[in-house]
Amino acid sequence: MRRAFKLEWLKLKHYRFFWILLGMYLLALFIICTFGVFFLEWLKRQGADFDGIDPTLLPIYDFPDIWQNITYLASFVKILLAFIVIITVTNDISYLTMRQNIIDGISKKEFLLSKIALILFLASFSTISLFFFGLINGSIYSHVWGTGYIFDELEFLFAYFYDIVIFCSFGLILSLLIKKAGFAIVLLFLYSLMFEPILTLILRESEWTRDTIWAQVADFFPITAMNGLIPVPYPKYIFREITDNIPWKALVISTTWLGVFQWAIYQYLVKRDLK
Amino acid sequence: MAETGTNKVLHIEGLTKRFGKLTAVNQLDLKIYQGQIFGILGPNGSGKTTTLGMILDVVAPSEGSYRWFSGQNNVDSRKRIGSILETPCFYPYLNAEQNLRIVSHIKKCDESRIPKVLKTVNLFDRKGDKFKGFSLGMKQRLSIAAALLADPPVLILDEPTNGLDPQGIAEVRRLIKDIASNGKTILIASHLLDEVQKVCSDFIILRNGIKLHEGKVNDILGDKDEILISANHLSQLHNVIKKYPGAKSVIQKGTDLLVELNEQGSAEDINQFCFEQGSTLTKVLTMTRSLEEEFLKILNEN
Repeated sequence: MRRAFKLEWLKLKHYRFFWILLGMYLLALFIICTFGVFFLEWLKRQGADFDGIDPTLLPIYDFPDIWQNITYLASFVKILLAFIVIITVTNDISYLTMRQNIIDGISKKEFLLSKIALILFLASFSTISLFFFGLINGSIYSHVWGTGYIFDELEFLFAYFYDIVIFCSFGLILSLLIKKAGFAIVLLFLYSLMFEPILTLILRESEWTRDTIWAQVADFFPITAMNGLIPVPYPKYIFREITDNIPWKALVISTTWLGVFQWAIYQYLVKRDLK
Repeated sequence: MAETGTNKVLHIEGLTKRFGKLTAVNQLDLKIYQGQIFGILGPNGSGKTTTLGMILDVVAPSEGSYRWFSGQNNVDSRKRIGSILETPCFYPYLNAEQNLRIVSHIKKCDESRIPKVLKTVNLFDRKGDKFKGFSLGMKQRLSIAAALLADPPVLILDEPTNGLDPQGIAEVRRLIKDIASNGKTILIASHLLDEVQKVCSDFIILRNGIKLHEGKVNDILGDKDEILISANHLSQLHNVIKKYPGAKSVIQKGTDLLVELNEQGSAEDINQFCFEQGSTLTKVLTMTRSLEEEFLKILNEN
């Protein structure tokens, strides 16, 4: 795995575009982690109140709730990481360097492994970054303190890591199939932020389908399952409804999708002639 | 000509590739031994590149098999093969040195050879420049550097001089000959007869994926060139030249004599010999026999 990652690292180390995207992602994470305070201030100015409670007093940065709150929001910008994956893969296709790498002496499997190593690196990097951002913000704003609180519910960081791995694997298969960075990015964008969420919304909420089996079908869609790994945390502040663990159903379905993506990528790569 | 060993470098058996209805390579058998400079000759679309793609594992054969280095694992074999395919494939945003670092990582060879190979192909001064700024000739030379990086015993070249200017072509050919003189095995695919004739020891002719001919270049061309000579007294010259030890045969052609030379003969030598024997030559013309006529003959026979 180290060898596989080094191959990818040699390709990316001096690639400016990679650093720009990674920097943008880090900035996005930082903004997401710190903007909560300003958002609550804004709510207050708009005159919102929660059963008579001043919005700025909402404990969104309290440990351990902070983990669910920030991972939920951060998962919206994971698409930037998928862009990095798509661009490196489509580069290797359009520069014919995937073919050249294999001719020079790696197997297709090793090539695939180098891309998986990249995905694992991106997921680890952002999970660790998010952990630190959470720690910093929590230490400033949290009303409670202590290892018992801080390290509780860290499973949401795991869910976040897992979410990125699956989503980037989806990006990987799209880039192998489509081969053009632009198309793959547009398709990933449209599908994951529009097509599937809208279809899911229709199936779950329209009056024809909401009480039928069709509403359940939406749970099996890949993006819906991935997004389901970290449940929407905010109802707890309004309805006092608590879902503060990773839903098993979403975990099983998204793991199945991960398996499907990896299997399809491998099959496709091994059987395909590289021109 | 380099000494040909008995170690088999590549053994191809019944290799076939079908793209739908089209059979690009049909039941190809081939054995390449250590030290051979082997040419695959054929018109465009005859299956040369497909064949190379199959033995380099980027095109899956429909049938048949190949073995490198008497059965070593293919991935490891490829680490010991330097390949230069039609288009140089590198990362445009990386410089020459960074690109070669990737190759050395893949081939598991020492990075310390990078400056050496860059010097060999005369790119050392440009090692810090990005690949995208290179001219085609420089790109091609970087491919050669990459191919030489692991000091491989086998080189594969696909149309190595395609698209190069005359100077670039001469440079690449010189490099190939230098490399060959170190006892390496070279496999060249080309549609340029002249190229195969100039550098190869053995060759096959491929057409529509079928092997039409296999043999040594010298068997077709003869070992030595022929020389056309003439003098004012042709009959006297004829008698003189019969005594010349470097002549294999002499044929009269109009007012000239066509002398086929054996190993000892040369144009310079003939000139001197005749002069010493009292015949002054008025014409000495070295006739280079070309593969072209033979190639066309073979194509027509089939």
